[in-house]
Amino acid sequence: MSEVMSKLKKDYIYNLLLKGQREDGRAFDEIRDITLETHVIDKAEGSAKVQYGNTQVLVGVKIQVGTPFPDSPDVGVIITSLELNPIASPTFESGPPRENAIEMARVTDRGIRESGAIDLKKLCITRGEEVWMVFIDIHVLNDEGNIINAASLGAIAALMTSIVPAERNGKGEDFMLPVREMPVCISLADIGGELMIDPGRNEETVCETKIMITSNQDGSICAMQKSGEGALSEKQVLQAVTIACEKAAQVREEHLLKI
Amino acid sequence: MNKKIVIPGQFISNNVKNAGSGTYVDDGKVYSLLYGILNDKKRINVLPFSGKYIPSRNDLVIGTVIVVTPSNWIFELGSAYDGLLHVSEFPRRVDSAQMKGIMNVGDSAIIRIKDVNTAMKVELTMRERGLRAINYGRVIEIMPTKVPRLIGHSGSMITMLQKETNCEIFVGQNGRVWINGKDNDMDRLGVAIDMISRNSNVSGLTEMIFRFFRNGNDVNDVTRTSFEDTDDIRADDME
Amino acid sequence: MSKPEKFFDENGLRLDGRRVDEIRPMKIEVGVLSRADGSCYLEWGNNKVLAGVFGPRELHPRRMQRPDTAIVRYRYNMAAFSVEDRIRPGPNRRSTEISKVSREAFEPVVMTHLYPSAVIDVFAEVLQADAGTRTAAINAAAIALADAGIPMKGLVSACAVGKVDGKLVLDLGKEEDNYGDADLPVAMTQDGDITLIQMDGNLTQDEFKEAMEMVKVGGKQILEIQREALKSKFSQFKTEEIEEAAVIETPEPDATIDETVGIETEVDESVETDTEVIETEDDNEKVGAVFVEDDANDKEPDENTDDEDVEEGEINE
Repeated sequence: MSEVMSKLKKDYIYNLLLKGQREDGRAFDEIRDITLETHVIDKAEGSAKVQYGNTQVLVGVKIQVGTPFPDSPDVGVIITSLELNPIASPTFESGPPRENAIEMARVTDRGIRESGAIDLKKLCITRGEEVWMVFIDIHVLNDEGNIINAASLGAIAALMTSIVPAERNGKGEDFMLPVREMPVCISLADIGGELMIDPGRNEETVCETKIMITSNQDGSICAMQKSGEGALSEKQVLQAVTIACEKAAQVREEHLLKI
Repeated sequence: MNKKIVIPGQFISNNVKNAGSGTYVDDGKVYSLLYGILNDKKRINVLPFSGKYIPSRNDLVIGTVIVVTPSNWIFELGSAYDGLLHVSEFPRRVDSAQMKGIMNVGDSAIIRIKDVNTAMKVELTMRERGLRAINYGRVIEIMPTKVPRLIGHSGSMITMLQKETNCEIFVGQNGRVWINGKDNDMDRLGVAIDMISRNSNVSGLTEMIFRFFRNGNDVNDVTRTSFEDTDDIRADDME
Repeated sequence: MSKPEKFFDENGLRLDGRRVDEIRPMKIEVGVLSRADGSCYLEWGNNKVLAGVFGPRELHPRRMQRPDTAIVRYRYNMAAFSVEDRIRPGPNRRSTEISKVSREAFEPVVMTHLYPSAVIDVFAEVLQADAGTRTAAINAAAIALADAGIPMKGLVSACAVGKVDGKLVLDLGKEEDNYGDADLPVAMTQDGDITLIQMDGNLTQDEFKEAMEMVKVGGKQILEIQREALKSKFSQFKTEEIEEAAVIETPEPDATIDETVGIETEVDESVETDTEVIETEDDNEKVGAVFVEDDANDKEPDENTDDEDVEEGEINE
């Protein structure tokens, strides 16, 4: 099921844009209110509930003993899954994840992996035989746009609160998951040539192109994805990077550093 | 008289003869079918807090084209059911090949529900003065259950909205409201409609909205000043 | 988790301090999802479930449509992290069975015949599982259905009863569920009709009878909690607003403008005055009148034909 948006609504959003306005009154570079709660699911090794405006995402981390990949026998494994559950939107359908869900899961995964957020070497139990496997499961509960930013913020927050259940598995004492970086993903949508941060649902529907940029504490970039059928100018991409890194620092400061 | 929140299955009355909308009768007793507000001043009715629009013959609605077939435009009506506008129900003769040129996916129109059969197949018509595609203005959506509130007694609310904003307004029975006017007038009207929708259970609503227009943009202030005891509010609302 | 040495203390209280006939604390929030037509978040002991309802809405593919009634779909789904050992996302045999019996638990109360050809989707997400997730999900789903404005003869309330150490206990906790001798989840209507019953384990017929008595009492308690949750959704809203109002200014008692809205007595020309040329005879009549015909005609043939029906008749001409 895809949603057909009326042309009147599209025109409305474009007309606002010409006046420098957005549907919900935000500035182009203003992120919706974020709430972040951790330790929400006791059954998980770590968990976080994130609200970006009314977009709601729940992330749970489970950590289990598993076998390492043959080409990396001494490092732990990260597996990120994201489900666009049909409870989250009238347009989502039951069934295995499709390309959108898979794309979001992989973008989240890259942010965590490439930033080196988890010290995977410390997750080796016995070289070549046993390592800790970290499952990041992202459960999308309500889609009001920009799920990916909520998902990635939830993922890193859940990881930061995760405890490796060594005792339960007969592997010594429990320890905090070694997290050493806080990647934050920021999305910008291109609507009529203007970049809008944290697109809401209608903005996401109207825009042809989005860019997602994940950056680290030192301002370096660790993951990026252009998504959608349009194209971005080089200038736009550069501008997006500047904004994303700046806003990521703000989100990190206001939310992750308080965990 | 009894004005209160009821939930599905709640016993309301023994007066079976007065059982009205949103109720059912079982073993000589009237129960609520819905989660909503009870109005038993005359007949026993329950006005639901929420619910989808159910197409009904002769209703005027605003729809959006979601599919164009060789002989039909299929409209989404914000309802449990989509509607079919056969090419012969367009005001003038149209060839299959021209259909998308006249109304394409994403276009909106004011249409009348011509007929609904028992399986809820919804047939639409535009063969009437005033029914047309809408290419300008805005469409605002409210809960269909709030449409009467937006219109007001004898159209008091809608008349006032029109007068205060100089906007054209059309209220579709399916909760879609088309407005047209100057941008800033439409902005104010949009805010007012949102207030009405959020405060539909409040008494003095027309007055509240009137003050909103006269006192400028201090929406919250106006909103806050007009809350009263729920029972009265609801009583008023329902009469 | 290992089997506890004993399930009851010297006073006959259970591991978590409950009496044998006591249910775990339940916390409910109504209307928590903006995209669903109705929703409910429910915590019951350590269970955390979220129910969302969509519909009635168009059912695709069309071949699944039934011309005389809506169908109900129910999807019970556990989040991967909701249990001790991660489970793979997506349906499995257990969740498929639970979805089926849960859907059937609602079919007797949901007025599906009012929405021919449509579908009502109920999604129940188990976010944290701690014994009794199917009953928790049903309790949340009943509220979400009401919140969506779906007409129902009543709510459905569900609770389990079981046997532990030879003793019957209401609303099994995790250890009782894992190491008990019997588990009997039941869903019921407000009249006590059973709309879901499953059992595993071992009970004598006498024990079964007693168990049913216990679970009926539990169901009634839950029904009360569900009703309270629905009723408080709007009263809370009111209280907050009034408090704010008090800070700003005292509410003014009323309005010179006559603005009462009639659901049944609405005057006709209302929209006409405001909308260009379109004549609208009946724009205000029908909200809330949707169910009248079915109700009067299908269900209670003896009922008076009354002014409302006449109005409906006029509308249809």
